[in-house]
Amino acid sequence: MTQRVLVIQLARLGDLVQTIPAITALKKSHPDWELDLLCPVQLSVLGRLLPGISEVVNWDGAAWHRRAASAEAEVRPEHLAEAGAGIRAISEDLYDRACVLNQHPRAFIAGALLARESVGAVSGKPLSHKLSPWAEYIRSVAISNRSHRVHLADVFCGMCGLSPPNDIIPIHVPTTVLPTDLEPIGQSNGDWIGLLVGAGDQERLVPIGVWERLIAECLEIRPASRIVLIGDQHEQERAQRIQEALSPLLLGRVWDTTGRLSLVQLASLLARCRFVIGTDTGPLHLAAAVGTRVIGWYFARARVHETGPYGPNHWVWQAETREMDRMAAIKPARWPIAETIALLGDGAAASVEDWSLWRSYRDDLGAYYVESEHEPIEPCERAQIWRQLQPLSVS
Amino acid sequence: MEYLQHNLERLRSRCPALVMAVRESAGNVLTVTPSREGAPSATYQGQWVHSAYDPRTEARSWAEQQVGEWKRGELGVVLGVGLLYHIEALAQVNPDHCRLAVVVPDPSVLKDALGARPLGPWLNTIIWVMGTAQEMAEQLASHATPLRFFTYGPAARVHAEEHQRLEASLRRIVAAQAGGRLHVAVVGPIYGGSLPIARYAVRALGELGHRVTYIDHSVHHASYQAFDSYRDERSRLTVQSRFADVLSLSTMATIAEDPPDLVLAIAQAPLSLAVLQHLQKKKFLTAMWFVENFRHLTYWQQLAAGYEYWFVIQQTECIDALKRAGATEVHYLPMAADPVVHRPITLTADEQQEYGADVSFVGAGYANRRRLLPQWLSKEWSFKLWGNEWDGAADLSSVLQRNGARIDTDTCMKVFNATAINLNLHSSSGMGLDAHPDFVNPRTFELAACGAFQLVDERTLLSDLFSSEEMVCFRSPDEVPSLIQTWLKDSAGRRAYAEAAQRRVLREHTYRHRMQDLLAAVGLHQPDRIGSILRGERSATALQRRTDSATELSPLLSRFPPGQRVELKDLAADIQARAPGRELSREELLVLMLDSYRAETRDLL
Repeated sequence: MTQRVLVIQLARLGDLVQTIPAITALKKSHPDWELDLLCPVQLSVLGRLLPGISEVVNWDGAAWHRRAASAEAEVRPEHLAEAGAGIRAISEDLYDRACVLNQHPRAFIAGALLARESVGAVSGKPLSHKLSPWAEYIRSVAISNRSHRVHLADVFCGMCGLSPPNDIIPIHVPTTVLPTDLEPIGQSNGDWIGLLVGAGDQERLVPIGVWERLIAECLEIRPASRIVLIGDQHEQERAQRIQEALSPLLLGRVWDTTGRLSLVQLASLLARCRFVIGTDTGPLHLAAAVGTRVIGWYFARARVHETGPYGPNHWVWQAETREMDRMAAIKPARWPIAETIALLGDGAAASVEDWSLWRSYRDDLGAYYVESEHEPIEPCERAQIWRQLQPLSVS
Repeated sequence: MEYLQHNLERLRSRCPALVMAVRESAGNVLTVTPSREGAPSATYQGQWVHSAYDPRTEARSWAEQQVGEWKRGELGVVLGVGLLYHIEALAQVNPDHCRLAVVVPDPSVLKDALGARPLGPWLNTIIWVMGTAQEMAEQLASHATPLRFFTYGPAARVHAEEHQRLEASLRRIVAAQAGGRLHVAVVGPIYGGSLPIARYAVRALGELGHRVTYIDHSVHHASYQAFDSYRDERSRLTVQSRFADVLSLSTMATIAEDPPDLVLAIAQAPLSLAVLQHLQKKKFLTAMWFVENFRHLTYWQQLAAGYEYWFVIQQTECIDALKRAGATEVHYLPMAADPVVHRPITLTADEQQEYGADVSFVGAGYANRRRLLPQWLSKEWSFKLWGNEWDGAADLSSVLQRNGARIDTDTCMKVFNATAINLNLHSSSGMGLDAHPDFVNPRTFELAACGAFQLVDERTLLSDLFSSEEMVCFRSPDEVPSLIQTWLKDSAGRRAYAEAAQRRVLREHTYRHRMQDLLAAVGLHQPDRIGSILRGERSATALQRRTDSATELSPLLSRFPPGQRVELKDLAADIQARAPGRELSREELLVLMLDSYRAETRDLL
């Protein structure tokens, strides 16, 4: 029977992109279901590109902040009426089911307000504080900071009661016009390499001098290459400082797009690049989702097995630390600059002290990563976890 | 003249008393001068009251800045008359058709304004408030609605003193009417003279019915003192400063666990600027009662912008200095006494023998006291000196009690009660009387509360607090011996003064009065927050009254006892406590959703 199902994903760009396997699995398992997506209003334009989604409904966090500020001191009937109208604007009728993929209480409450029943991160009533086994698993990983082998995107599938889908369809980016001066990117000859200059968290920022060295060496070693600086308006200053540090002779081969693109234009730009290099950020995952190969530099608290780029043939440099320092954010003392440039040419991967290199693969239990130079054998821990948390999904 | 008649005619039917007062006034307070744009502008004592270029545009811009704060149901009160441009602009941008009152301390200014230009029908929408400060305060309070003050600085300075008096009167009225229950976090110092003040403030707030969280840092005193052992002063200061930073963070952690309506720091409270700024960012109201001489202890300069409200024991010079340093709201709040501690005591004969004397002085050995007290010793009277830091004061060794040991409050009270004449000499680093004799020390109030007679050095702020029938002052050190002689002979006179001073303290100068005053001042400036709580508008009963019983909010409110404060977080906490094992209603879920966003903005950690 046709059911109206709402997938609730209220987190950031990276999490939204990681939701694609769950949506694909839901659609494959229940082709007749009508799947809507509830996501932050600023990401809705991207939500509409996700395969399998019927309709994207907006979650306006800023409006909720305003309502809360107005009701904080004295709750009046009109506050509840306005809040109720905000919910009704999302849907007049209750959904049959909500798949709640965030562990934040407001996602649980949204599920309870918008659907007859909820599955996903929480079991039972929205305030029962009883996390589902998969949500419990993610939380225990975050608390202990131990390495694990099931990717976040596949955990989302598990939260929906499904195994990861066999195939992942890349996001189809509609024909999008970039600003005129950026239009040649990826269209004219050259080896276009995207570089994500920023990161959401301070601790995940690569020092400007490191990016400058990578660009200079890459342009020198690979004469046909072009570097595309990618970031939002907050990262324009970083991009500017990187360019100021470069030799003027190289500037014609560096294209600065920071702060100038909409989300759809960003997706289009990422699709035009042959490789995208960056830390564990939303745009890195978006690049992987539009089908571009990525090379991730994972340090601070980023772990390849949990949030590596999804899909086959991506590379991740993982900063390593001693066991006793696992709870601390890793601050690399050296960076895999020449080794990353070598990967761009599909050259041999050299080893770098304090870093390990991983390549991504996918099978019927989702994504997995194998250390470079090793046989691509799927890790046995992954199947154990699936067996433990979702016995029916593992044969 | 033509404009004046026209404008008065417009006002005549609604405000006959105002029209008469304006007609009878002299006018000519302002000098009316055409602006560049052509409309009349004005100066007062050579300074512009409105823009010299374009007074209308300037007024519009001012009014637009003000209205953001103006909430529905509040009576806007404008301080500053000028040529009424700003009032006209405010009346035009008035949101939700709120009522607007204008304070007119002197009808002469209004006469200048009404004579300068033709005014429209908006003139009749204004509530004009006239009379003495007390009368104006009563008129404003009679509206029984929250007041939102708008001060138009250039015009308000013409009547700055009248406005201060008006605010003081209003504070008293608001304080007397206050009935709601606030949650106040009092942050005390690690040690020092302000430590007992923190305790008195805590007790007073509790007696007033407020919920108080006392963040008592004196428990860390031993650790703080242990750092004194470092020989290198730089090391000691660095470690003690870091220690104070840790205590500052611990204050924030305590506040985060049970968020108060107001954070009240007492002088020397370990709250760093960074923590204060974080509290402000999270919209916590912060106030500091700076019970220090601002000339001697100057750390206020670094913290001025950190507190939203400063309360100080000195007036103009101190208030101006704090404002220059970045403080926005600074109010005068003198010291006081705590009748629970500072009280008459019946002493045994032995106690009278031990603590009593014709003349006593209790206090630390500041330079001016070391210099002056020996001049006041005499064979004609017995003299006892109590307190510490008197090392090396050879000419006082014969009267120094307990070898100069620090004495506790209990002993202090016994000395006050047992002594015929208590000397109260304000400390000073100079050699004579305090060169800036403005603030009145706590000892003045404490002695008075004990019903003890005192001779106190003259202070400029003393006459506002005690009359000449309640307090005997000396203006120079030379007067003291003859005053002692006179008053030693007149025990009935001493008793009359002491009793009058005690009555005055109990009537007006206890910490209860000060805390009432302090909260009323904050409430006046925060009519929709502290003000409405003090008015009891956040109680379950008041909310129920304003909520249609047919709405779904009603059953949620009915769960609270009638007098209890109910805000969004309280509703959410109640729902969460009852959530396990049952279906939540749609309204309950909406409350929880709103609260999750409130918590994101307001929760500290």
